[in-house]
Amino acid sequence: MGDVFANLSLGFGVVFNFVQWTPAFLGGASIPIPVNILLCLIGALVGTLVGVLPGIGTIATVAMLLPITFGLPPVGALIMLAGIYYGAQYGGSTTSILVNIPGEAGSVVTALDGFQMAKRGRAGPALAIAAIGSFFAGCVATVLIALLGAPLTKIALAFGPAEYFSLMVLGLIFAVVLAKGSVLKAIAMIVMGLLLSMVGSDIETGASRMAFNIPELADGLGFATLAMGLFGFAEIIRNLDAGGETDRKLVQEKVSGLMPTRKDLKDAAPAVGRGTVLGSILGILPGGGAVIASFAAYTLEKKIAKDPSKFGHGEIRGVAAPESANNAAAQTSFIPLLTLGIPPNAVMALMVGAMTIHGIVPGPQVMQKQPDLVWGMIASMWVGNLMLLIINLPLVGIWVRLLRVPYRLMFPSIVVFCCIGIYSVNNAPTDVMIAGAFGLFGYWLIKHDFEPAPLLLGMVLGPLMEENLRRALLISRGDWSVFLTRPLSAVLMAIAAALLVLTVLPALRKKRDEVFVESEN
Amino acid sequence: MNATPGQAPVKSIMPKWVRNPQEFVGGIALMAIAVFALWASSDLQGMRGFSFGAGTAPRMFAFLLLGLGALITVVGIFTEGPHLAKYHWRGPFFVTIAILTFAFTIRPMGMIFAAMASFLIAACGTPETRWMETVIVAVCLTAFCSLLFPYALGLPLQLLPTFMIR
Repeated sequence: MGDVFANLSLGFGVVFNFVQWTPAFLGGASIPIPVNILLCLIGALVGTLVGVLPGIGTIATVAMLLPITFGLPPVGALIMLAGIYYGAQYGGSTTSILVNIPGEAGSVVTALDGFQMAKRGRAGPALAIAAIGSFFAGCVATVLIALLGAPLTKIALAFGPAEYFSLMVLGLIFAVVLAKGSVLKAIAMIVMGLLLSMVGSDIETGASRMAFNIPELADGLGFATLAMGLFGFAEIIRNLDAGGETDRKLVQEKVSGLMPTRKDLKDAAPAVGRGTVLGSILGILPGGGAVIASFAAYTLEKKIAKDPSKFGHGEIRGVAAPESANNAAAQTSFIPLLTLGIPPNAVMALMVGAMTIHGIVPGPQVMQKQPDLVWGMIASMWVGNLMLLIINLPLVGIWVRLLRVPYRLMFPSIVVFCCIGIYSVNNAPTDVMIAGAFGLFGYWLIKHDFEPAPLLLGMVLGPLMEENLRRALLISRGDWSVFLTRPLSAVLMAIAAALLVLTVLPALRKKRDEVFVESEN
Repeated sequence: MNATPGQAPVKSIMPKWVRNPQEFVGGIALMAIAVFALWASSDLQGMRGFSFGAGTAPRMFAFLLLGLGALITVVGIFTEGPHLAKYHWRGPFFVTIAILTFAFTIRPMGMIFAAMASFLIAACGTPETRWMETVIVAVCLTAFCSLLFPYALGLPLQLLPTFMIR
């Protein structure tokens, strides 16, 4: 227990770190500046700013804003990214409540009751309960991370290459099972990502693989490049198809009366609690994360409600539960990333990309060698949540005005912003072209109902999987049974196999579709 | 690598026995990508005894993708499903041109020119564009980016064309 407090206080120490700023015009006097808190604040604001733009999801926001953190020291950059992430998520909820355009899959459920509330002039309470619920979930999840972080790291240190490989297989299977849509297509997308990650130099022999003598490909496909192409450009092209203006039914009434009533709070409180618990559990699972958490929380609320028919017509619990679950899961999904070094979903995969750019390889070693970084980030999550609550709520008016920016002006700005961002990663024009090609590829994927998120996950896990597979087989002298004879690895593989079999079974498949479909009707 | 199939065939081209054209075409495209990857990695060394060569993992994943693509194609034949989605040329075309313009002009012409040009080209992607406001926004955005990236974020971006700097 003492450990937990020591770690948390280290984290908050990093976040509340004051740097003495001595500007020349003050003549030697120095002002203490809480740099990391400022970074977190800016991140949360910018994240909300971009995330609130309709049609831009969390992944696209984080990918687009990645370049602005490059110039910072690693701790500051990661803290800012965490801020961006929460801001983007909150921005996504704002659009789904006010305009009924969920920026990402996770806030689809929020739109169901949130938009209905907004239509009845109760947008304020809906937004407030989303923020309050998220904050509560964030507090619980922060403590949970602090509690579980250290013991999980100890387990992780006992992992050999075989166990790591099995764990990643399990994570990918989880990602497939918990994803929306066809299992087969999701697996195909993961393999596609694995294949794309093979481009570049071989880690052991240094041989150039599938790079066609293009110097920019020698180091492999850039992660940020791919993400911006698949999520930034592809989304823009797709939205142009839909004819930007037609489906934007903006709530015209003024957002007034921000605070929820006493009755609202009383109704929402148990839903927030249940959502937090459900979200925290689902978030820890590799491959789990925000999307399934919000769907599951909504379904649960509807199941146990006395009058389920109220849902879909502006029920405050229908906003509170998925939003809390969403945020709890978003936060606890940092656990597998920080302790095992395995990103459980696409946003975390982007975080790995950012860490690698700063020369940090996430995993149990980071926890021990750079505790200030890990605990600073964990503490900053809590601070980020607090920022959202105290700063974004009063700013709701501004975000609403942003929603009125017409798409015809917004999308060229995003194109230019993405181009500059991609170019600035390596100062390479080729990267911009590659991103453009992936934009078209992503557009094609959307047209054929393939999800790009598993592809991104496969792309990040590819090199890790190959390395551990090779090492495991080298140690076992080419014996493939090593994955089944080592007990820990065998258990992980068995769970993965069982999960896969279960999803293919018709009965469970129906249940799984139900969870997603039910909330759409 | 970036096997981006062009315009998908119109649905009348699809034979009758394909009941789910979306999956059918998707599966075939994945198989094509896999075959391409197999060809591209054919020059790499395979297994050396029990240790992996440079080409082992790429070929493994490519074969896996080939199999999955085949499965999706088969599913596309035997299940009912949606027709191919309609493709529009205008949005993708102008956004792509805008991206290419940026890529080709950023080095010789600097960021101010590249950003302006690609903004205006991208704006052609929708018939809703009104030119007055578009130009105003383009100028503002370029100014904002010229301050944000090189100055506020300290990234080494060249603002002006190379011939003006010399």
